[in-house]
Amino acid sequence: MNTTSMNCAECRDNQIACLEGLLEAEPSRQFQAHLESCAACRAEYAAMSRLQERLAARGRVAAEVSLVEPVMRAVRQKQIEPERTTLMSILLKNRWGFGLGAAASAAAVFLVIALSAPNAQAKAADVMAKGARAIAKLSSIHLRGQLRTLPADNFSYIDANSAFYPIELWKQFPPEPKWRIEKPGRIIVMDGVQTVMYIKPAKEAVKIPQPTPSAFDTDWLHRIANLSDTINNELRLAQAQGWKLDLAEETAADGRVKSIVTVHAKCGLPENDYARNKFFHNADTRRVYRFDAQSERLEAVQIYMVQGASEVQVFDLSQIDYDQPIDPSVWQLNLPSDVSWYKEPQKLPDNQKYASMAAEEAAQAFFEACAKGDWAETGKFMSPVNQRLKDYLGGLEIVSLGKPFTSQGYPGQFVPYEIKLKDGTVKKHNLAVRKDNPAGRWQVDGGI
Amino acid sequence: MNSLDQDERQEPSDGEYVVSSRNGCPDHFRLLVQRYQRPLFAYLSSRLGNQLEAEEVAQESFVRAFLSLKKLRKPESFYAWLMGIAGRVLKEQFRATERRQKDRAIAETLLAEDSGSAPEYPLEEAIAVLPESNRQVILLRYYEGLSCQEVATRLGMPLGTVTKTLSRAYALLRQELKARESAEATVK
Repeated sequence: MNTTSMNCAECRDNQIACLEGLLEAEPSRQFQAHLESCAACRAEYAAMSRLQERLAARGRVAAEVSLVEPVMRAVRQKQIEPERTTLMSILLKNRWGFGLGAAASAAAVFLVIALSAPNAQAKAADVMAKGARAIAKLSSIHLRGQLRTLPADNFSYIDANSAFYPIELWKQFPPEPKWRIEKPGRIIVMDGVQTVMYIKPAKEAVKIPQPTPSAFDTDWLHRIANLSDTINNELRLAQAQGWKLDLAEETAADGRVKSIVTVHAKCGLPENDYARNKFFHNADTRRVYRFDAQSERLEAVQIYMVQGASEVQVFDLSQIDYDQPIDPSVWQLNLPSDVSWYKEPQKLPDNQKYASMAAEEAAQAFFEACAKGDWAETGKFMSPVNQRLKDYLGGLEIVSLGKPFTSQGYPGQFVPYEIKLKDGTVKKHNLAVRKDNPAGRWQVDGGI
Repeated sequence: MNSLDQDERQEPSDGEYVVSSRNGCPDHFRLLVQRYQRPLFAYLSSRLGNQLEAEEVAQESFVRAFLSLKKLRKPESFYAWLMGIAGRVLKEQFRATERRQKDRAIAETLLAEDSGSAPEYPLEEAIAVLPESNRQVILLRYYEGLSCQEVATRLGMPLGTVTKTLSRAYALLRQELKARESAEATVK
C-alpha cells in the first residue's frame, strides 16, 4: 500500500466524488494511485462508472419528454368534480340502463332521479334515452348563449353582478374533431392540429401544440355539447353527493311538450372561500335542461348561481344548431402581428433564489420590478410582459402587502395588495400566484 | 410546504403530494408527474422501443394513477405503485395489438443480437425500490440533469450529503440490478 494513496475504505468513500469530478487535485491523485495498486477497488470503480453511464444515458433518453400538461389536461377532464355531473351523463346512463337491460345501472338511476310519480319517471327515462340516442349521432353542434362574466376573463369566470355577454361554441365531432369558443374578449380555436387561445385586449396568445378535446377552462361548456364520453364517474358522484335532481314536463304555448330536468349541484367549497362563486365549478348552481319531447333534442339550458335562499341566472343557452354546416373560416384564428405569446417558466440559472421565495416575497419582488420598470425581472414572475402591462404597472408604488391566503378551489395563493399606479389611481386587490410549474417559481396568475 | 422531514429534504415527499392531491388539491398531482415523467418514460421507451407509444402509455398510466389515487395504501410508495400501473397498461397494449407484440419481440431479439447487451428497463424498476431520499437524488442528478451542487441547493443539503446519498443509492441499485439479472437468467 502506497502511504501517499488512500486505503480501500477511503477509496470507496471517494468513488462518487471522483466520478462526479468533485475531487481536488491531491485527493484525486491519491485516489488514482490507490486504484492502480488495488484490483478490487479498480473493479468496483469500473462497475460504478458503468452504472453512472447507464443512468446518464437513461436521463438523455427522457430529457425532452414533457408529459405534465397533457397528463393534467386529461386528469382535469376525468377528474371527479361537481360540475361534471351533467345531464348528458344521466341521459346516457339511462340509455344503457333501460335500453340494454343493465339492471344495476337502472337501479342506480332510480336512486338518483327521485320523481314523485312512477309513470312520469318511466316516461322521462324513455324521453331521455331517445334524446341520448338522437344526439349521439351528431356530426356538429353550434351553441349560442350568454354568460354573466367579464368579456376577456377566464372562460369559466362568472360574476353575478356582471352584465350578460355572448358566448358561442362551434364543435365538429370525430373523425375530424375541431372546436371554437368565443366571447367578446377571448377566443379559442382547436383546428385539429393545435389549440390556441387569444386574449384580445391584452393581445396575448397561448398555444398548446396539439389538438385537445377541451382546454383553457371551457370544460363546462364542452360538457353541454359533448355527447359521448366521460360518463361513468359522474352519476356515481351525483349519488355520492346526494344532489337533488328533478324531472318535470310542461306544455308550451304551441302545444309542444317539453321535458325539463333540473340539477341542484353543490360545489362543496366553504361559504367563506375566496374562490367561491367566481367560477362555474366553485359555485352552487341550479341547472335547468329543457328537451323537446318530439324532436328528443336538448333545446335550452339555464344555469343559476345559488347563494343561500337567492339565486341569479348566470348562463342562458337558447340557440342550439344541430348538424348544420360550419364555415371553414370558423377554424381560423387571425392574430395581430404584435401578439405576445405566453411561455411556460423555465429554470433560471439562479432559479433557487426565486423557488425559495414565499408567496408574499414573490409578490413584493414582482411589484418592485414593475415599479423600477425592470421588465426582465418582471418576466421572471409573469408571461408575457407586454406593452399594455408595462404601461399599466410601470412606475407603481407599493402601498401595502397583506398576509397570503389560500382557497380550496385554487392551487396557488392569494396575496392581498394595495398599489398606487403612476396616474395616482390606488388599486386594492388580491394577487393570485402559483408555483406548480416546471421551474417551481411563483407566477402571477391573476388579480392584476 | 417548507417544513423539513426526517431526511431534511426541503421538497415535499411523494406521500405528502399524494395526500394533498387526494384531499382537495388535485393540482399537486402535477408535481408528481413532473417528478416521475422522465424515469417512467425512459422505462416505457425501453420496453416499447417507440417513443410515441411510450408517451401515450406514460400519459395513460399517470391518468389511471390519478383516478385510483384513493386506493394507494402507502402514499410514500407512489413511484413503485405507478410502475405497477404502467406495467399493466403495457400488458394491455401488448394484448390489444398482438401484431405489435410480435414485432416488438422480433425487434428486441434483433436489438439484443446487435448490441449483445441487456435491455435497460430494469434500471427504472430498480430505482422504484430505492428509499425515497436515495431515489430523489438519483432522479434529480440523472433524469433532471442537475449537477451535484444543484441537487444540494435544491434539496437544501450539504454537497457531501448528496455524494454520500448517491454512493448509497449506487450500492443499492447495483445490488437490486444484480438480483434482477440473476433472477432473469434463472428464468431463461
